[in-house]
Amino acid sequence: MTEPASIVAVVAVTVATVAIGARGVRVSRTPEDFLVAARRVPPTLNASAISGEYLSAASFLGIAGLAMLDGLGALWYAVGYAAGYLVLLAAVAAPLRRFGAYTIPDFAEGRLNSPVLRRAGTVMVLVICGFYLLPQLKGAGLTLQVALGGPYWVGVVVLGVVVTGVISSGGMKGITFVQAFQYWLKLTAIAIPALALLMVVHHPPLTALEGTATPTFHRITRVEFPDAEFVTLAVPTTVRADGVVGGVRYDGPLTLDATQHRVSARTVLTFPAGSRAPTVTSEAVLTASQWESPLVRLNGKLIHPLAATYGILLATFLGAIGLPHILVRFYTNRDGPAARRTTALVLLLLACFYVFPAIFAVLGRLEAPQLYTTGQTDSVVLVLPRMASFGLLGVLLAALTAAGAFAAFLSTSSGLMISMAGALSHDLLGQGVKAFRLSAVGTGVVATVLGLLVGGIAINVLVGWAFAIAASSFCPLLLLGIWWAGLTWKGALCGLALGGGASSAAVIATMAGVGTTGWPAVLLGEPAIWTVPLAFITMIGVSLLTRSSVPADVTRKLLALHLPERIRLSDQVVDSR
Amino acid sequence: MTHVVRPEGGAPEVRAREVIRSPERRVPAIPNSPAADDLYEQDEYARTLLRSLIRAQLAVTLSVLIPAAALLCLYPLLAVLFPALGRAHIAGMPLTLVVLGGGIYPPLVILGFWYVRRTERMEQRFVDLLESHD
Repeated sequence: MTEPASIVAVVAVTVATVAIGARGVRVSRTPEDFLVAARRVPPTLNASAISGEYLSAASFLGIAGLAMLDGLGALWYAVGYAAGYLVLLAAVAAPLRRFGAYTIPDFAEGRLNSPVLRRAGTVMVLVICGFYLLPQLKGAGLTLQVALGGPYWVGVVVLGVVVTGVISSGGMKGITFVQAFQYWLKLTAIAIPALALLMVVHHPPLTALEGTATPTFHRITRVEFPDAEFVTLAVPTTVRADGVVGGVRYDGPLTLDATQHRVSARTVLTFPAGSRAPTVTSEAVLTASQWESPLVRLNGKLIHPLAATYGILLATFLGAIGLPHILVRFYTNRDGPAARRTTALVLLLLACFYVFPAIFAVLGRLEAPQLYTTGQTDSVVLVLPRMASFGLLGVLLAALTAAGAFAAFLSTSSGLMISMAGALSHDLLGQGVKAFRLSAVGTGVVATVLGLLVGGIAINVLVGWAFAIAASSFCPLLLLGIWWAGLTWKGALCGLALGGGASSAAVIATMAGVGTTGWPAVLLGEPAIWTVPLAFITMIGVSLLTRSSVPADVTRKLLALHLPERIRLSDQVVDSR
Repeated sequence: MTHVVRPEGGAPEVRAREVIRSPERRVPAIPNSPAADDLYEQDEYARTLLRSLIRAQLAVTLSVLIPAAALLCLYPLLAVLFPALGRAHIAGMPLTLVVLGGGIYPPLVILGFWYVRRTERMEQRFVDLLESHD
C-alpha cells in the first residue's frame, strides 16, 4: 500500500530536520556554542525541545499499540513516562544545573572526585542509550515497511544516515531547534488524526467496551494473513476467501463454521459488517472487561498483576531522571530556576500528548480488530487514519501520522546518539569537535548495523527496559549524590555495578526466553521492582562502610548543588568541559 | 586554566586556545555578597542557615513527591482489592480510560507548578535572610 503522500511527508520531515539543523550551524559560531547551545535557550523553547527529544517510537506508536493489545493497563507506561518529570523537577533539575555538570559522568566525577566512577558512568550511558536507540531504528524500519511498502532495512538505514549526518555537522544548537520543532510536529500528527477520527467517523457504541464482548468488525473488513495461522470463529460466518483455507484453494464466498481453521500465509479473508472478529492461536484477544482492567499484563497474561504494575511504575517514575540524553538538555538552561520552569512545562506538554495514544487504543479496539488477527497492533496509529474511508482526507491524515512517527525516531535517536558520541569522545578519543564528529559517525554505523538485527523485538518492551536499567543505576546515583552528604565513590560504584548489572542481566535473560510464568516472569520481565531497591541499599550500605572516602570538600559540593544563584561560592566547584 | 573572558551577555573577547569548556559560573548578581562557603567555615549562624536551606528544599521536594507516588500507587491497589472498580464505567467510558487516559495528569501538572512556586518563594526568603545577616 505504497502512498506517494506518505513518502512526501516523511521526506519533508527529514528535509525540514536537516534544514533547521543547518540553520543552527550558522547560528553557532564558537566551539562552546557547538556543544552546549550557549545556554541561552529560554524555558519554553527548551521545554519543547526536551519533550520533542523524549517522545520516541514507544510514545508515538508503542503505547497505543500495547494498550490496544494488552488492555488499558498498558497506559501506565504513558503515565509513568510523564510522572517521571515530576521527580526530575522536584529532586534533580535545579541542583544539577547549579552544580554545572554537563553529563552524568561529569556529575559522578565532580561530586565524588572519582575518575573510576566516571568511567563506570560512561559504560552505563552506552548501555542505557543503546537499549533506547535500537527500538527507534526498528520503529523507523517498521514505519517505512507498513506505511510506504518498502523493505525493513530501508527505514533503519535512512534514519541512521540522517541522524548521523545532522549530529556530526550540526552540534546541539541545531538539535535544540530541531527537537522543539519535532514536539509540535508530533503533537499535531497524533492530535489532528485522533480528533478527526473521533468527530468524522461513525463509531460503534461504547457499550462494545463492556462485559464479555469481543471485538467485532464494524464494517466490511479485509484481513490479510502475513503468516500461516489457525483461526477460530465464535459463530459460523460467511466470508469471501482469496487463498488457501484448510488446504483447499478458494476464490469466492465460503462459510466457515465455529471451529478452528488453518489459513495459509498471504490468504485474504473478507468479513461482512457486524461479524465477530476471529481469534488466532498466536495472540490471545481479551474480552472487554479483561481489556479495561487497570493492571499491567505480561505477554498478555495477568501474572502477579500488582507487582508487574508497580514494577512498570517504579521503572518509569524513577527512570526518566536517569536518561543521559535528557539530562544533557538541562545544561542549556540559564540557571536553576529556569531549569525548574522548563521541567514543569515539559510535564504539561507530555500530559497534553499522552491523551492521544489512549484515544487511538480505544478506536483501534472498536474499529480495527483485524490488527489482533494479523498481530500488527503496533501499527494502529499508522493504520487507523487510512482505513477510516476518508478518501483524500484519509490519505493526508495517514501521511501526517507517518511524518509524526518518523519525527519521533529522528528526534529521540539524535539525542541518544549525541549522548553516546559525547561519552565516547570525552572518555576514549579525547575532547574537541573532531573527536565528537568521529564518535558520532562510529556510533551511527554500529547502531544502524545492530538496528538491522533487532527486527523481532517489540518496541515498547525495549524502551521499558532502558527505563528499568536507568532507574536501577543513574537514579540512585543522582538522588543520593544530590541529597545525601554520606555518599562515597565506592558506594556509588558498587550500586551502579550491582543495580545496573542485575537489571541488564534480567533484561537479557528475558530476551533469551528465560522465565515465562509465575514470579520469574515478573522479576525478570519487570526487574525494576527489585533492582531499584538493590541499587539504593547497596549505595547506602557500602557508603556507610567506607565513610573515610567521603570527599573532604563535601560541604562545598552540597552548597554548589543547592545554593540559589544570587549567593556566591568562592571558587568554581566543577570544572566541566 | 584558559577561561574565555566573557562580559555578561557579550561575545567572547579573548580566546586563548580552542578548548571546549563551559562558560564560567555566573557572575553573582550582588557584587559585594560574601562567599557562602567562607561564611560556612567562619560563622555559626550562616552555617545553620545554609544547612536549613538544604533541609527546607528537601521538605518541599518530599511534600510533592510523596503525594504523587501515593496517587500513582492507589488506583492499581484499589483495582486489586475491589475488582469491580476496574470494570466500572463513567458516562459510558471505562473508568480506567478516564483515569489513565487523562484524569490523572491534571493533579500531576498542578503538583509540578505548585512545587515551582513554593520553592522559588522559599529560596527568596532564604536569600533575604542571608543578605540581612551581612
